[in-house]
Amino acid sequence: MLRLHGIVGHRDDPEVQSRLHHVEHHGGIEFLFVPPHEAGRKRFRLATDKGTDCAVSLERDEVLTDGALLFLAHGRAVIARFGEQAVWRLRPRDASAALGLGWHAGNLHWRVRFEGDVLVVLLDGPTDEYRARIAHLLAANLLEEITDV
Amino acid sequence: MIATHDAKGTRMAAARVGIGGPVGSGKTALVERLIPSLLARGIDLAVITNDLVTAEDAERIRRSGLIDPARVSAVEAGACPHTVIREDPSLNIEAADDLERRFPGVELILIESGGDNLASTFSRDLTDFWMFVIDVGGGDDIPRKRGPGVVRCDLLVINKTDLAPHVGVELAPMLAQALDVRDGRPVLLTNCRKGEGIDAVVSALERDVLFRA
Ligand SMILES: Nc1nc2c(ncn2[C@@H]2O[C@H](COP(=O)(O)OP(=O)(O)OP(=O)(O)O)[C@@H](O)[C@H]2O)c(=O)[nH]1
Ligand SMILES: [Mg+2]
Repeated sequence: MLRLHGIVGHRDDPEVQSRLHHVEHHGGIEFLFVPPHEAGRKRFRLATDKGTDCAVSLERDEVLTDGALLFLAHGRAVIARFGEQAVWRLRPRDASAALGLGWHAGNLHWRVRFEGDVLVVLLDGPTDEYRARIAHLLAANLLEEITDV
Repeated sequence: MIATHDAKGTRMAAARVGIGGPVGSGKTALVERLIPSLLARGIDLAVITNDLVTAEDAERIRRSGLIDPARVSAVEAGACPHTVIREDPSLNIEAADDLERRFPGVELILIESGGDNLASTFSRDLTDFWMFVIDVGGGDDIPRKRGPGVVRCDLLVINKTDLAPHVGVELAPMLAQALDVRDGRPVLLTNCRKGEGIDAVVSALERDVLFRA
């Protein structure tokens, strides 16, 4: 259990951003996805996307916002996000398409999971912004976009 | 600015836990069972009760000898009980702040709502976690009616299990339906008359609210 108290910053603060950048390179950023209807809570227990069990409390006058930084130390950061994790599933047509997609996803620092022959992109913004990055692969029909069921 | 994170040194306000539910379902009885169990686990505790126009429940708990009477505060709603736990919880917030000032080490404040209907819910401004207490005597169809209290609370307690055979209620299907309307979120069975099921409620509070385990 990681005991966290209070909001220590916001991911958009310039000072935080530079430190997050360093943490990001070591894969140390963890997101705590708070369901939108739970946003007002001052005390809750929730696991991050990497499975870390977090016990969070806030000061009575603190308000949790999307992007609030709850922990930053020892190469690890915990950031609150609202809503369920949106994902984008891609199935490459063949091995060469898979190599191309993997190369781009890595270079773009996308957060991904692997489900057999499908690459699952964990979205932090609108899908179109992601789509634009690999438009050429999509246009060449190298990838199949799988809609969520 | 980046504040320093210090898990041990920070002085944290008490966790605030609401207890709501229909009239007579056993909210005060649950409080009376929780007090000794929580104190036995070394939890620093205080209680707020809400009544319509009296301090009946507060007096009952003060007289019980279970807890220092100064740690029990009464709020008189004066109107529908849900108005002071949801629409304008300022009286209860003030009562909780006052307990924190008078007892700086307090870790947990139990806030009993006045008996209400199935639609009553607690404001997140007031409570960090809230339980809803219904009882077997109200009938096994209560969960099916999907009252917001039943559906949205953090923990649903079905009390008076001892009465099930007397009121023609089968506990297993009632529990299954309650879990179903709550999408699997926690439901516990208690018999406050005998103290059965209380440990599970305390464990839930220790885990989800007090972060002890
Ligand atoms: N048989 C049985 N009776 C119970 C149980 N729990 C409470 N009671 C009885 O039910 C009645 C109401 O209990 P209370 O604890 O006063 O209920 P309450 O929800 O606080 O009531 P209000 O605050 O007036 O809404 C009392 O006579 C209790 O003794 C139980 O588990 N089994
Ligand atoms: Mg009562």
